Amino acid sequence: MIQFKNVTKIYPDGTKALSDISFNVGSGEFVFLVGASGAGKTTAVKLITKEIEPTQGGVSVNGRDITKLKKREIPHHRRGLGVVFQDFRLLPDKTIYENVAFAMEIVEARDRDIRRQVPGILAMVGLGSKADCFPDQLSGGEQQRASLARAIVNNPSVLLADEPTGNLDMETAMDIMKVINMINHRGTTVIMATHAGEIVNAMKKRVITFKKGVIISDREKGGYYNED
Amino acid sequence: MRIRTFRKLCRDAIQNISRNRVMSLASIIAVMSALFILGAILVLAFNLNHIAGGIESKIEITAFLDPSVDNPKAEAIVEELKRLDGVYEIEYISKEEGLAEWKRDLGDKGDLLDGYMGQANPLPDKLILNIENPEYVEDIIMKLDAMPRVDKVNYSKEVVDTIGRVANIIRTAGLIMVILLVILAMIIINNTIRMTVYSRRREINIMKYIGATDSYIRWPFILEGLILGLVAALFAGGLVFGGYILLLNKSGTMFGGSSLLNLFRLLPVEAVMYDIGLVFLLVGTGVGVIASALSVRKHLRV
Ligand SMILES: Nc1ncnc2c1ncn2[C@@H]1O[C@H](COP(=O)(O)OP(=O)(O)OP(=O)(O)O)[C@@H](O)[C@H]1O
Ligand SMILES: [Mg+2]
Repeated sequence: MIQFKNVTKIYPDGTKALSDISFNVGSGEFVFLVGASGAGKTTAVKLITKEIEPTQGGVSVNGRDITKLKKREIPHHRRGLGVVFQDFRLLPDKTIYENVAFAMEIVEARDRDIRRQVPGILAMVGLGSKADCFPDQLSGGEQQRASLARAIVNNPSVLLADEPTGNLDMETAMDIMKVINMINHRGTTVIMATHAGEIVNAMKKRVITFKKGVIISDREKGGYYNED
Repeated sequence: MRIRTFRKLCRDAIQNISRNRVMSLASIIAVMSALFILGAILVLAFNLNHIAGGIESKIEITAFLDPSVDNPKAEAIVEELKRLDGVYEIEYISKEEGLAEWKRDLGDKGDLLDGYMGQANPLPDKLILNIENPEYVEDIIMKLDAMPRVDKVNYSKEVVDTIGRVANIIRTAGLIMVILLVILAMIIINNTIRMTVYSRRREINIMKYIGATDSYIRWPFILEGLILGLVAALFAGGLVFGGYILLLNKSGTMFGGSSLLNLFRLLPVEAVMYDIGLVFLLVGTGVGVIASALSVRKHLRV
């Protein structure tokens, strides 16, 4: 499904964010990427979304080496990924309904399908009654639910989440984790970068631990390791 | 692009304008002000050009015919001169008319001229040639001098040169003002649009990360630039023409029938309206669209 093969990323300013990283994530898996601040988690996520290019090595998604994608193929590649961030990134001038519908509009879905699917997805993440609100009228947890709804409305094979609970209190964070878990149970592969140890320990999923750009452990049903 | 996609892009553009009301209004006002100032300068420049033309048309050459020339021959000469380049009107004053005019000017003492009536009339026939433009003067003078039946030619080289110079200065000043203002308007419009796009750069970024193609992101902005530019151009046009009509009404009562002041009579609104309207539409929408496209492109590079 997702494969990192001897990936090294050196930023233009010389910072070595990842050095010679390799790992595989199978279809339908749920994987946490953990590690201290600056360990390289976000860098790994950005390599998958093709926001940045690896300095060395290869990244493939669904068996396709994405470092070889042409520039005009990037939008299509991103549509196969659902992405959520710590800061939600909803379009501020669109309602929650419109934000989710927008993700379908860009893939030129039919109006009929949009009208049918969007309310269903919003209900699924628990936002059925907030469809006509604007993002700034919602709490952080609700905004993250909306962002999750947008991420999965086109049925991506992978959900990438970079610190999705970073701005939320523990209780709200656990609610969001339930939604993400539900998404994973529908068959979507989930890759989530976080340093929320409590959440990682509670979920009992595969955990890949980064430290200063290298993988120091990769365990099934692992826990969160601060500094080994 | 599918039709339903295009409809969505238009809807997005209109929605963006109405949901960013303050920003949209500010942009419209900024673009409108720029166009308004440009329009005012254009009106001024058109009128200056008109005045320059008016001044030039004041150039006259006076020619006196040989006394032996009789009336039919004089008329043949007038016809010949009319065919010269740059001559737009010839006033023919026969010696009889000249004498009558002189007599009228003397008033009470007109009787003094009674002895010169008829055969004794000492005056030559006179032709006043109105010349379109100082450029033609030299040629016409040369041709007149070469004509055997033309006796004497009067014109002031200095006056002709001065008129030409003044007209050119007026025209050049108008042109320079227009060019400067067009550039200024373009800069203002470009900056305004860039600011509205800049304020939404985050949105552009988000759209990219959920997989929107560059053109899908770009179109609503381009349509927005078009709509904002169009609305601003319409309002600016309304202001400029409304203001100009008011000015015309005021100035119409100011200059009576005086012919010198007639020179400075303003052009009618129809004479300036279409050109200025066209400039507004081109500058407003053209710069709006181009500025939108360029500034979105800058933020798309992620
Ligand atoms: N655009 C960039 N240019 C230069 N260096 C960068 C850039 N982005 C990240 N880095 C550096 O790369 C390293 C890894 O950063 P990364 O954002 O991947 O860490 P992270 O594990 O996501 O940290 P956090 O938990 O704080 O989000 C850090 O040292 C960081 O300073
Ligand atoms: Mg990070």
